[in-house]
Amino acid sequence: MARVFVSSVINAEASAVWERIRDFNAMPKWHPRIRDSRIEEGLPSDKIGCIRNFHLQNGDMIREQLVGMSDYDLFCSYVMLEGPMPLWDYMATLRLTPVTDGGRTFAEWSAEFSCDPDKETDLTNGIATNVFKGGFDALKRHFGG
Amino acid sequence: MAKVIRSTVLPAPIEVVWDVLRDFNGHDRWHPAVASSEIERGRDADRVGSIRRFKLTDGSELREQLLTLSDAETAYSYCLFDTPIPLFNYVSHLRLMPVTDSDHTFWEWEGRFDTPADQHDAMVRLVGTDIYEAGFGAIRTHLGLES
Repeated sequence: MARVFVSSVINAEASAVWERIRDFNAMPKWHPRIRDSRIEEGLPSDKIGCIRNFHLQNGDMIREQLVGMSDYDLFCSYVMLEGPMPLWDYMATLRLTPVTDGGRTFAEWSAEFSCDPDKETDLTNGIATNVFKGGFDALKRHFGG
Repeated sequence: MAKVIRSTVLPAPIEVVWDVLRDFNGHDRWHPAVASSEIERGRDADRVGSIRRFKLTDGSELREQLLTLSDAETAYSYCLFDTPIPLFNYVSHLRLMPVTDSDHTFWEWEGRFDTPADQHDAMVRLVGTDIYEAGFGAIRTHLGLES
C-alpha cells in the first residue's frame, strides 16, 4: 500500500479554511489544478456517497466519491472511482486542526492506494506535489500566508 | 467534563521535538512548573503503565501514569492520580505531527477532567495556560527556537 502525506500551516482560522474547502464540489474555486466539477445525479455535495465528476486543467476526467465528512472534526474522506492514474483502492482524507496559538490552521492531506511497485515513487511524488501541496499553496496564497 | 486543547507550531523538525517530549521522566528538564521527576519502582520511562512522581516548584507533589506511548504516531497519553488541586479523572493526550512543507512540527496538547463548577474556570486556565501554553514556551526556550 502506497502512502502520501502532506501538511502545512495556513494563516487563517480553521473555520474560515473549512468554509473554503468543505464543499465537495468546490475544487475549481480553490484548487488551481481543477478546471470544472459537478456532482452526479444532482445530489447535494455534503451527502455522503455523492460522486464528484471533474476535469483537471489538462482535460483528464476523475470521479471521486465522498465517503466521510465531519463539520465537528473538520475532515472529508473520499475514494477515487475513475481516473487517468495507474492506481486503485485510492482513499484520501483532507483534515484541518486549529492551531490555538495564533489562530492558524494545521492542514493535512493524506492518501493510501495500491499500484505497481515500479510506479509508486512517481505516483506518490506527483500526488504529493501537484495535488496536495498545490492545493495548500493555493490556500496559503488566498489567506495570505 | 471540561476539555482543554492548546496547539502550536514549532520551527523545528518533528524528530528533534519528539526526542525531548518522548521522555516521560524528562519534564523537569524543560517545564517551568516541574522541579523534579522520578519514575516509581525504577521502571523505564517508556514502559506503558509506568508512574512518574512530580515535585512542582511550589512544593506540591503529583503522580501521573503513562497510558499510551506511540513512536509511530509521535503521541502519548497519561492520567493524573494524586494531586493537590481539584482535577479529577484527568486524562491528557499529547501528539506531534510533521508540517511537511516547512519541516516544522505541529504540537497538540489536550486534557479532559472533572472539577467542581466553581473551580472550572480556574482549572481550565491552570491547565491551558500554566501547563500547556507555558510548556510550549519552555520547549521553545529549551530547543533555542524563536518564540
